[in-house]
Amino acid sequence: MCLLAVAAVPMARGDEGFQGIDVRVAAVAFLALVAAVARGWAPLIPLAVALVGAGYAAELAVDDAALDLAAPAVAVGLFLAAELAYWSLDERIRTAGDPGQSLRRTAFVALGATAIFVVSSVLLVLADEIRARGLALDLIGAVAAVGVLVAIFATARDQPSKGA
Amino acid sequence: MTRTGNPRLNGYALLAALALIGALALRRPELAIVAAPFAAALALGARAHDPGLTVSTELDADRTLEGADVPITVTVRAERAVDRAEIQLVPPEGVELVDGEPARSLRLDAGEERVLELTLRCTTWGVYELGEVGVRARDPWRLVTWEARVPPAHRLKAYPRPMTLRSLLAPTRTQAFAGSQVARVKGDGVEYADIRDFVPGDRVRAINWRASARRGSLVVNERHPERNRDVVIFVDSLTDVRGAGHSLLENAVRAAASLATRYLETRDRVGLVGFGGVLRWLQPSMGSTQRYRLVETMLETGVEPTYTWRDVNLIPARILPPAALIVALTPLVDPRFVAALEDLRGRRFDVAVVELDPVPLVPPGRTKVERAAHRLWLLDREVRRARLESRGIAIATWGDGELDTVLEEVRTFRRHAHPGRV
Repeated sequence: MCLLAVAAVPMARGDEGFQGIDVRVAAVAFLALVAAVARGWAPLIPLAVALVGAGYAAELAVDDAALDLAAPAVAVGLFLAAELAYWSLDERIRTAGDPGQSLRRTAFVALGATAIFVVSSVLLVLADEIRARGLALDLIGAVAAVGVLVAIFATARDQPSKGA
Repeated sequence: MTRTGNPRLNGYALLAALALIGALALRRPELAIVAAPFAAALALGARAHDPGLTVSTELDADRTLEGADVPITVTVRAERAVDRAEIQLVPPEGVELVDGEPARSLRLDAGEERVLELTLRCTTWGVYELGEVGVRARDPWRLVTWEARVPPAHRLKAYPRPMTLRSLLAPTRTQAFAGSQVARVKGDGVEYADIRDFVPGDRVRAINWRASARRGSLVVNERHPERNRDVVIFVDSLTDVRGAGHSLLENAVRAAASLATRYLETRDRVGLVGFGGVLRWLQPSMGSTQRYRLVETMLETGVEPTYTWRDVNLIPARILPPAALIVALTPLVDPRFVAALEDLRGRRFDVAVVELDPVPLVPPGRTKVERAAHRLWLLDREVRRARLESRGIAIATWGDGELDTVLEEVRTFRRHAHPGRV
């Protein structure tokens, strides 16, 4: 539902030709997500999210409008779509949990989504403020990209340690 | 514990990277905002620490009966708070979980200890390594996983469940020690045997006064003494026939354990020979210690294939005492075991065979050739059985029924067809 909601954003704003393409992309993304959840194919989840994100990016590029105020909602929608799909995959391994475990997790995800929305909105305001200075925006993007790469290196390493 | 990345890690990294590249390429800050949640989750995941889970198991018993419940306790302790710790007890084949969840997910605070009570049941006899536990811990963002497998820490011996046996096979000859079996010879005992003329030296209390009055001369009662028996249980472990969820070797060991227990209860000496790829034997002896020795030896019994010829010469002479009753448990599949039985009979041992019927477990096949082969195999079995019977070996087939009924068949055969009695 989150994925379809995000897919509806560019659909609602684009012209007829764009809408046709976006519907097809959204359908493929939705099918990929359903297949990922039903069959347990985790690599299809980022593919589905990326397809919908690509539709949104294409609409932004074509439209070439001022700053899109729906960006925080899109960010939350895409994140929730990915997170809930991965959660479904986690639940494929049946385990008896403590009472209220699912509720706690739901609350955690909802809180995370709220925080993402707030932070994204703040970022959007900041971006709006400094947009006039094109170089500053590029600098922020480059720093963010480097930050992501560092995070990937830090987390992707499998470090055996003592215990159990 | 081994730290690995969840599929989320790669997915979020890919999405964050794509969105950031898109933001730079299209010069749209909105895409950087879209990348932000994924990048933030990655950054938080990178800060996750090993929760330091410690898992230990405790087993209430080291011996049990097959089919009996055995409680096991799994204790989990976390050094740091863990959002989700998945604990899975991995029972070995032949052991099932009857109470409790096989996989549990827990949320533990720092220093918290949780105890999981589970109940296991051994579906068949054997020696089992228990206590293997799979542990998996996840961080709150579920980006990083720590996994470990705790090796089995306990050895549980599941003894075969004894069958109900109302009566046992009696050997033709008894031994010299006192026991519960009425001997065929005459001597001091309880059971009346005969009367004979009084001779000097006979005890006065042995005089049968009524008979003496009728005859006009003194006659004395003769009695049968109560003696013990030597029984050797001869288990065929050269082959096993499995199917439909059970194995003939398992049944053979179950029957052997039941027979041994019952014979030992009547003060008989019981020995064991496991005739297979590995020859196992236990010298005949009596008492409850011998019962445990026998069962422990039986637990090690399994099929070890061998192509070498096996015969009874390999068995030490003291394992097969003279006048011992040899109770063989075999599916009559391997000709080497049949030859060994014939050899024993040739050495004047008292042999009885309980044949564990493999025929229901072997389907006749679908093709004409397979069905013909099956018929030939059945004929070959008939020939083997006839060969044993012609040598005076009592044999009865044990299928789905009670072992008691089979022993009665053997007794009937021995009553009518035994070649000689002492």
